[in-house]
Amino acid sequence: MIEVDRVSKQFAGPVGGVMAVRDVSLSVLGGAVTGLLGPNGAGKTTLIRMITGFLTPTSGRVRVCGHDAIEDSGPARRCIGFLPESAPLYPEMRVRQFLAYRASVFSVPRSERRGAIDRALERCEVTDVQDRRIGQLSKGYRQRVGLAAAILHRPPVLILDEPSSGLDPAQIRALRQTIRELASEPLDGEVARATGLTRRVVLLSSHSLPEVRATCDRIVIMARGQVRASGAPDELLEPLRAAAAWRVEVSASGSQPMHLAREVLQRIGARVLSCEATSDRGVVARVEMHGSEAVAALAASEGLPQGAGGAGGVLGHPGEAIARAMSAAGFAIRTLAREEPTLEDVFLAAVEDRVAASSTVDSRNAPVLPSGEVP
Amino acid sequence: MSAVATIAIREYRAFFQLPLGWIIVALTLLGSGFAFTNATLIPGQPASMRDFFAFWWFILAIIAPAISMRLFSEELRSGTFEPLMSSPVSELSVVAGKYLGALLLLLTCLAPTLAYVLVLGALTRPDYGPIFAGYLGVVLAGGLYLAIGLLFSALTSSQTLAFLATMFVLIGVELAIAYGSSQLPARAARAVSELSANARIADFSKGVVDTGNVAYFAIVSAWLIGIAAIVLRARRWR
Repeated sequence: MIEVDRVSKQFAGPVGGVMAVRDVSLSVLGGAVTGLLGPNGAGKTTLIRMITGFLTPTSGRVRVCGHDAIEDSGPARRCIGFLPESAPLYPEMRVRQFLAYRASVFSVPRSERRGAIDRALERCEVTDVQDRRIGQLSKGYRQRVGLAAAILHRPPVLILDEPSSGLDPAQIRALRQTIRELASEPLDGEVARATGLTRRVVLLSSHSLPEVRATCDRIVIMARGQVRASGAPDELLEPLRAAAAWRVEVSASGSQPMHLAREVLQRIGARVLSCEATSDRGVVARVEMHGSEAVAALAASEGLPQGAGGAGGVLGHPGEAIARAMSAAGFAIRTLAREEPTLEDVFLAAVEDRVAASSTVDSRNAPVLPSGEVP
Repeated sequence: MSAVATIAIREYRAFFQLPLGWIIVALTLLGSGFAFTNATLIPGQPASMRDFFAFWWFILAIIAPAISMRLFSEELRSGTFEPLMSSPVSELSVVAGKYLGALLLLLTCLAPTLAYVLVLGALTRPDYGPIFAGYLGVVLAGGLYLAIGLLFSALTSSQTLAFLATMFVLIGVELAIAYGSSQLPARAARAVSELSANARIADFSKGVVDTGNVAYFAIVSAWLIGIAAIVLRARRWR
């Protein structure tokens, strides 16, 4: 477990220096992959460097598996397997020789060293290059050698700084798979007893949303040195979901379908964000509408049985309200879908100082998910 | 194996996995071969290597910065400094390991020159005492020079800068003593000349193993290594 308690880091410099991390508190638990997400310069690397003991915090405390990262730095660092950004390695060394060196630095007992190196080589799929010089390896191989060096001493805590930067999509997928396996596999009995953990703590930093989305169970969003939001991806998306827009595509035979569509939508209380005619006699509109507005709209509209949706709140569903209103007005519905909020929206909302639940979040670029379609 | 030995061995091997180590050894052999044939191996001269050792401070002033320049500067530049300093090894162990690796390379440079002693022994009957004392002097002075270079290397990520700064100090001090002390009052001149490694090597090559000289090299070297460890620790506080 990693516990970060009110940690700040100020770098010396002109005019008071730079506050890279300010008053950050978080705890990272085992058995899950936690993603530290933020734009460049958000303080992710500085925070990681304070956890690994490479930097000393200006204030606050960091504890790794119960050991203070500064006062008890030896045991704390021994708990951590660390892959720094862009996997810096000694280019003149051979892969196996480098791993033997790392095993020795991390005091892996001599009798276990050979097995530990073989296991790490196999795990990271670098056995075939074990006798090559690191400097001759491709970026993907170097990254994997770096990961092998990080997991060599079977650490209960694994920290990866931008692990996928510079890798191609196939390599990223393979790396993601390995990271997920490393988080889910049970820890050795001895390590588990010493740390009280049953599964590995994995913390990775990234500025790539798709990567974090695909790899992490929990996300911590940082911007300008502070934690702006944290939680499971679904928890972070929930506040935005209520405010998500609907996309309606209809076709009509009338003379001015666009005006009619807009009028119908406004009549049921939807806020029309855009409404355009398409080349094939259709109209595409984006609207914002909440459940409560839909209930009111349907109750007020003519020709609908009173209380039709009372049970289960079907009528309280904006999609239902839009579908009924448009059909009643003679439109044929081609598509009706809720624009699912994406982590990008959460990320932008958090980074731009907006509250995650703010309705001003723009989900224009969000994909229209097939699950939301009405046939 | 302790962390110090692990780091020392890695450092030592790295020199020979790169052209640098071989170049340094070759350079040393070139310089010392020149010194031996021109200052020692002269018919009619006494069978002493005193002049050979007198040449050594100059060889050291070139090879010590060349050995020490990459110790930390290379790690700082390539980013390997971060995983190194995030591993469970104290600053002092890192510094000591690197220093020992460098010292081992210096000994490797020095070892082949023992052939000159054999040549001299085959031709004449030299007094071996001053010769081995001279070697001790070169190793101690070399140790001091490497410690100076180590400190500069810990201060900058530029190998060139580390090399030049170290050489500037090594040559500058000797030149200042040789040419500047005559301008000073006698007492001050004597105090300043105490700084000269060259003069101390000369003492050794006469066969005088003065505890003061040994202590000077050992203490100043240890002191500089300690400062380098503090520099590394300060990097965490940046």
